[in-house]
Amino acid sequence: MTPEALTGEDQPVLVFHDVVKVYPLKAGDVTALNHVSFAVNRGEFISVMGPSGSGKSTLLNLMGCLDTPTSGDIFIGGTRIGDMSDVELTNLRRDHIGFIFQYFNLFPLLNVIENVNFPQMLKSQAKVDEKKAVEVLQAVELDKHLYVHTPMELSGGQQQRVAIARALINDPDILLCDEPTGNLDSKTGASIMELMAELNRNGTTIIVVTHDPRVASYTNRTIQIVDGRIES
Amino acid sequence: MSTIFWEISKRNIRIHMLRSSLAMLGIIIGVVAIASMGILGNSIVQAVSSSLSSVGDSVIVMPYVGGSGFGGGGGASSANLMLTEQEYQQIKRAVAPNIAIPVHSTSEHMTMGVGSDDIVATIYGIPPDQTKYLLPDLTAGDYNNGNSGCLVGATFATDHNVKVGSRISVGTDGQYGTLRVTGIIKERGMSFDISTDNAIVVTQDWFESTYNDQNQYNEVVVKVTSGETADVKTTIEKQLNRNTKEKSVTVIDSKATLATIMDTFGMVTTFVTAIGGISMLVAGVSIFNIMMMSVNERIKEIGIMRSIGTQKREVMSMFIYEAAIIGIVGSLIGGVLSLLGGYAISALMLKTTQYLFTLPTLFSVVEGVSFGIIICILCGVYPAWQAANLNPIDALRHE
Repeated sequence: MTPEALTGEDQPVLVFHDVVKVYPLKAGDVTALNHVSFAVNRGEFISVMGPSGSGKSTLLNLMGCLDTPTSGDIFIGGTRIGDMSDVELTNLRRDHIGFIFQYFNLFPLLNVIENVNFPQMLKSQAKVDEKKAVEVLQAVELDKHLYVHTPMELSGGQQQRVAIARALINDPDILLCDEPTGNLDSKTGASIMELMAELNRNGTTIIVVTHDPRVASYTNRTIQIVDGRIES
Repeated sequence: MSTIFWEISKRNIRIHMLRSSLAMLGIIIGVVAIASMGILGNSIVQAVSSSLSSVGDSVIVMPYVGGSGFGGGGGASSANLMLTEQEYQQIKRAVAPNIAIPVHSTSEHMTMGVGSDDIVATIYGIPPDQTKYLLPDLTAGDYNNGNSGCLVGATFATDHNVKVGSRISVGTDGQYGTLRVTGIIKERGMSFDISTDNAIVVTQDWFESTYNDQNQYNEVVVKVTSGETADVKTTIEKQLNRNTKEKSVTVIDSKATLATIMDTFGMVTTFVTAIGGISMLVAGVSIFNIMMMSVNERIKEIGIMRSIGTQKREVMSMFIYEAAIIGIVGSLIGGVLSLLGGYAISALMLKTTQYLFTLPTLFSVVEGVSFGIIICILCGVYPAWQAANLNPIDALRHE
């Protein structure tokens, strides 16, 4: 099964329908998500908030196709992901989902341009659009002279901009962000959130998992999750 | 080949240069151990083979002494340790149309001229019309047809400065007269039939008249030009050893003996090379260890790769490339060093490097290099497989 329906304009880009995620442990099963249902429409900017242990990370893993639900259905662009093989899920992540992490998670052995091009190389090893990397790096407002630097030579804010550029390179349908400002000072964090808001205004669907109300204030809608259930 | 993963592998090796170099050193040692042992073994086999192969078409018949052995020389001895004329005639008839050459031999004192040192060398007595079959190559002069002439071996000629025309006084104080050297025999090395390098060869008549040693021979050499040496050996044994309890002759098939010697050398070479292989296995364990370390250090990186859409096989390829680079570079360096080492060892031990660039010797190098590369790649497979099969969520959480 391939997610060929992801480009439909009028249908939700992401649907959770009665999703349950249980982790079987020796001490007893732990229910991380308990009958969770919600939908994300194309172009939305959503924050997912909740206390520690509420199920935010589990929700993020399921939205990012890094994990599959115990029961219930998850649809991305109308395509159910439960039956997909590892290869199909990996291709889905590569082509339709962009990830932004709290600790930037750039590849230390690659320079800025190579980091940004990495998902493009996975998609089409023979054809890498060099201009595209420059375009997305300009979109995240990174100085040109930094393009050949390695991540270790950049500040936290610069690294996160590179990470955002990498997430955008394959034109994803959803941008999943895990505490994107959690490792930045407030001023840099605010500029990153401004950048995300700008990307959203240009049509990118963004879901931010955070516990920071200032981050949530940039979004259009907030999903509150407590003890594995959606409160609002 | 995925360019980005090849590039990452190269850079990871470069960034951990000391660690990678040590792993390569292990592989280099392994390849050198295997290849140089192979080079030495094959060179020895070829050296021995080239000195023995010229007598590979002979069957040697000697009096039965209760065991088997080969080689000419030795002094005249009691009649029961000699072949009789009757036995020779039987052999001659049995092996026809192959030529049966009766050989007398003894050790004798001799001098090269007045005032020269007394030396002891072997004297062979062979019918002059058959000498050319047993000793087909002379480096100087011609065969002796008269009783006053003799042929001398290559080492004998060099050591005692003997040339064609030189005279040799035979016996203590020249009691058996003087022989004129008519020809120098080409160096034959080790031989199953007669060892002429440090000997002189006289006519059968001269030998028999000098030593009164008629109608009995030290050995009979059959030059097999028709049929197989093994068949000739069987025929002789059937004819002369009819009484199985009391054998009268020992028959040696030089081709079979040569094959046994070559097989033995081959086995020794294989064994020694296998010992070299142990060092390669140790190097393989080191590669495995380093690859496991590399995977453990990069768990988070693997998690990031998997989360943004890298397939398992692509993660696997990255680690396989790394092991392959270490293996290829280390093995090639080892191969070059093996050739240099083989050259030095051959020059020192065999006094010649002529066997170094032959097919079997070069195959030893190819074998060592290939083994090194294969071991490295194999030792990289499990760590690569483990990396590829990490749970992306667990890998991302890894600190």
